[in-house]
Amino acid sequence: MKLKTIQETLKNKSLKKEFAIITNLKNGDSEIFFPDTNLTGFFSKYRNDIKKIFHLNKNSLIENSDIFVQTFKNPIKVIIVGAVHITTYLIDLAKNLDFEIIIVDPRGYFASKERFPNTNIIKKWPNEAFKEIETNSKTALVALTHDPKIDDPALQYALKNKFFYIGALGSKKTHEKRCLRLMESGFKKEEVETINGPIGIKLGGKSPSEIAISIIAQLVLEKYRK
Amino acid sequence: MNNFTEKKIFEEADNWIKSNKKVVLATVIQTWGSSPLGIGSRMIVNENGNFLGSVSGGCVEAKVIEECISLLNSKENCKKIDFKVSNENAWEVGLACGGDISIYIEEII
Repeated sequence: MKLKTIQETLKNKSLKKEFAIITNLKNGDSEIFFPDTNLTGFFSKYRNDIKKIFHLNKNSLIENSDIFVQTFKNPIKVIIVGAVHITTYLIDLAKNLDFEIIIVDPRGYFASKERFPNTNIIKKWPNEAFKEIETNSKTALVALTHDPKIDDPALQYALKNKFFYIGALGSKKTHEKRCLRLMESGFKKEEVETINGPIGIKLGGKSPSEIAISIIAQLVLEKYRK
Repeated sequence: MNNFTEKKIFEEADNWIKSNKKVVLATVIQTWGSSPLGIGSRMIVNENGNFLGSVSGGCVEAKVIEECISLLNSKENCKKIDFKVSNENAWEVGLACGGDISIYIEEII
């Protein structure tokens, strides 16, 4: 592989582009493929195969060839509502996983740069914050304030926009009340039931760091659920 | 595919090369049966034998490092290594789980 390809890969990752690295295993020649631009030269005749592998989000050799394709797609975006104690541990755990984290919390003392250095924090109410965040079916919501004023609007947004994962902190009772409120504001029972509440897989842990592990484990579980 | 690991490995490869080290990239390009890591898993090795990342669960790394270093001392700049291992010799070099993998090693130039 060419050093140039490695440097371009790093640049395109930081620009949040989606692409693939194409390598000719015969001689180590490499090039970057973008789905919306044409390949020139040697690799151009493999364009259709490359596109197919890229859209399947796979890494693979092209059949009967020496061409290897490695796909780079953007990570799942996790919006955490609530810059709370659990969030500090969640950020630490997410650092070694393929998640892009955005924190939303309108409360100044919580959403401070000192508490969350090098993290994307939006110090706004969810309805305002969501205007700045590009979301799609690969976006996840983790609602952690257990304050209906802050969590509910975020949950409503996530339900309307069909996020791939929605979780909300709170006991069974808190969650029941939350579901009732959401149904009163017009959501169907089956929609509300898609919320993971109480959030996280059952590990039995109680401390903020243990709860963070159960939440991150649930995100990984849902990411690979077919 | 976990692009996070990938990014870390590429950043380190770039750093090593900037500090004048020779670097070989190893990539899992094919797997058969139960292999520990998926296609596209990567590892980098420099001339001193330092390495980052993995191409199996620790089963074949030592052999891959040796191959990477000898690639740097050869005229070639790339090579395919197949680990088609039966269970009897899996404890030496190979996959204890019985899977087969093909690894492509190439000098970053």
